[in-house]
Amino acid sequence: MSKNRTQGGWLIVLAGVLLVSAAPATADEPLVYATIQPAQITLGESARFTITNLGDGAAAITMPVVSGLQFEIVAHTHQIELINGTTLPSSSIVVRVTPQMAGIFSIPGVTPKSPPVVLQVNPPPGSAGAPQPSSPAPKPLPILAGGSIPKGVHLTEDGSAYVRLGVPRREVYVGEIVPVEIEVGMRSGFVTQFNGPPKLAGDDFTLNNSLLREPERSEKMIDGQAFVLLTWHSAFSVVKPGSFPLSAEVPLKVKIRTQPQRESALDDKFGDPFWQNIFGPSVHKDINVDSPPQELKVLELPVEGRPADFHGAIGTFAIESDVSPVKADAGDPLTLTMRVVGSGNFDRVDSTMLDHVDQWKTYPPKSTFKANDLMGHKGEKVFEQPLVASKAGAQTLPALSFSYFDPNTRRYATVHSSPLSVTISPSLADSTLSAPQVAASAGSAVANKLADGLKPDHAADESFVSSLTPPYLQPRFLAIPSLLALAFAGGWAGVRRRSHPAERVFARNRMTSKMNQRLLTQMEAAARAGNPAVFFIAARAALQQSLAASWQLTPDEVTAAEVQARLSGDDDVQQVFALADESKYSGRDFRSTDFARWMHAVRQRLTAEQAR
Amino acid sequence: MKNCAQLAALGMSLALIAAPVRAQPAPGFSAAGLYNLANAYARQGKPGMAVLNYERASLLSPDDPDIDVNLSYVRAAAHLPAPSRSTFDRMVRIASPVALSWIGIIGLLIVGASALAAKLASRRRWIHRLGMLFGISMLGLPAANGIALWPILHEGVVITAATPVRVSPVPMGDPLFELPEAETVKIAVEHEGFFLVETRAGRTGWVSRANLAPVVPRK
Repeated sequence: MSKNRTQGGWLIVLAGVLLVSAAPATADEPLVYATIQPAQITLGESARFTITNLGDGAAAITMPVVSGLQFEIVAHTHQIELINGTTLPSSSIVVRVTPQMAGIFSIPGVTPKSPPVVLQVNPPPGSAGAPQPSSPAPKPLPILAGGSIPKGVHLTEDGSAYVRLGVPRREVYVGEIVPVEIEVGMRSGFVTQFNGPPKLAGDDFTLNNSLLREPERSEKMIDGQAFVLLTWHSAFSVVKPGSFPLSAEVPLKVKIRTQPQRESALDDKFGDPFWQNIFGPSVHKDINVDSPPQELKVLELPVEGRPADFHGAIGTFAIESDVSPVKADAGDPLTLTMRVVGSGNFDRVDSTMLDHVDQWKTYPPKSTFKANDLMGHKGEKVFEQPLVASKAGAQTLPALSFSYFDPNTRRYATVHSSPLSVTISPSLADSTLSAPQVAASAGSAVANKLADGLKPDHAADESFVSSLTPPYLQPRFLAIPSLLALAFAGGWAGVRRRSHPAERVFARNRMTSKMNQRLLTQMEAAARAGNPAVFFIAARAALQQSLAASWQLTPDEVTAAEVQARLSGDDDVQQVFALADESKYSGRDFRSTDFARWMHAVRQRLTAEQAR
Repeated sequence: MKNCAQLAALGMSLALIAAPVRAQPAPGFSAAGLYNLANAYARQGKPGMAVLNYERASLLSPDDPDIDVNLSYVRAAAHLPAPSRSTFDRMVRIASPVALSWIGIIGLLIVGASALAAKLASRRRWIHRLGMLFGISMLGLPAANGIALWPILHEGVVITAATPVRVSPVPMGDPLFELPEAETVKIAVEHEGFFLVETRAGRTGWVSRANLAPVVPRK
């Protein structure tokens, strides 16, 4: 009686502690589950009832009360596990369950969401109701749903973990994106750390590692043991055809018991590795857990029947299209949209949409992808292509098409959208409306305040021009002055050719006279300045001009030797040529009377030549 | 006498050349028609098209005060600065480009005739020189008019509200900035249905042909 009272007090204290600790529960509801080990005992033995709380939050745990069963808390444990770089705290309450009678007991869940746990208590051997040795052993009842080992699960030798690889099909195509599910089951308390993300064994597969960040987490009873399940959803593709073994491997760090099981007194009492991990000596070890290999056959895409617009899309797709706006002015951009929905390798879903359409200016499309699942295997890829209509009127945009390879039917498929109708109005800039048409199009409701301050309309005139470009910039008009200029130039040349020789002589003499006048002026200036060099050079030049006209020579050909030969009796002219050469070097001084004399002599000669 | 016959033949040839230039296909542009069209657009509340047609009417009839008044009024109503004309601009736009073109032709005729006359008769040279000076002055009128009109011939008017100006000649991406309706911009080049424009503030970008109309329509 006293013992029962003591046990009841423990339970009350435990329940109080649990209730108080549950008060500050956060929104992240911790996961609490209970296991019993073994699930089948003989009356007089005890079973271990373990309540495990995963996570750092507190849950409202209710200690079960079952008639015929005695509950006694024997230990509290706390653990922190490192899984995939994330710390995972967990705590456990170990309760010894001692039956007081034989039978099948259902222990209710420790939380409202927890399933019940079943304990079968057999009567002692030899007593009435005990199982007969000759009769087959009764199959233990499943502890929880999924309590047996599921298909595809191969536990490690120590039963601490497993890896299961889920692939939907055994035959895939090169370039196809294949969704894959990697499930890692870890027995609570055994696996302490992930040494890396899951990966596919071999170099023939390309696993999308970006999808391995956030696994789904759940708990499950497997073969009567509590397992924490982490499930990654990813996708892989194969780059070459052939048959390949496919398996996943996960590097883990696990605890391994170093003490033989028989030497442990606790084993004799409870026989559970978890209990050993608490009290028994253990070491950490890095292991690789592999999934059972599966044979995967990778096929090459068929060449036959491949559409010209096939860009490598493999999967199942459908398309739809629309254009916006459906009414626009010529020159305004419209947006043609094509949506490709379905499942497959969307990274290879591509389209040039409309490449060339008469009366339309097309631009390269842009695409955006919106995934409907984590792997990006299902979703919608939207292509948007700007279009500009260059011609007004009702127009039809041709149907769009998209080609892909369907791995289910193993054939290429091409899907089409419907043609789209749009109405294009003339652009304002290109409109050829008249003022009355513009006014009529405005309607009678137009009452613009701008109209009040405008000068009135003008009377229509009849002077039209075909172009606003000024005529003097129009090539056709420029032909007129060009031809005029050519005609005048030709006329001028003709007149010049037919002019009288006397006129040409007159013109030449006139030019020579002008030149001599200029040179005489230069000589006078040099005489005033007392510069003999300039004076005599100008004098020689004047004589050269004049004599050249008389002798039918060029001025340069009238040299001192020529003068001496032709004018042997005229000493003054010869001396002018000689002094012109000397004056630059001799430095001889001339007086004003000398300049006057030479000026007179030159004038005389020029007058004589002009009189000829 | 022979020279006179040559000049007469030349005149006939010029008349034949000028004939297709004067023969205007209907409908064409007339100053009054463009002015009335601009008024109609202004009454309809489309300042861009109104300014465009006033500018076009001003090309054909630069001395019409009504065009200037209405153009300034519509631009002011659109919160745009009124167009300003320099003295040189006013001087060289005393007549329409069509009239100035023919004045230039007459000037060329006078220059040529003066040059020929000076060659044929050497007396009274001052008369020839005066004739050449007068002819050259007449030739200078269309030349100066062309200098004054050249920027206007390469302008365009924004005909839609909040016209986007883009960084490249494609109708995609965010615009650099927006132009108000009736704004006048300088057109540099045209490419694939877009104009490269420069605003009065010196900003450049591409505008769709649907949003901008050149003052002188392009083929």
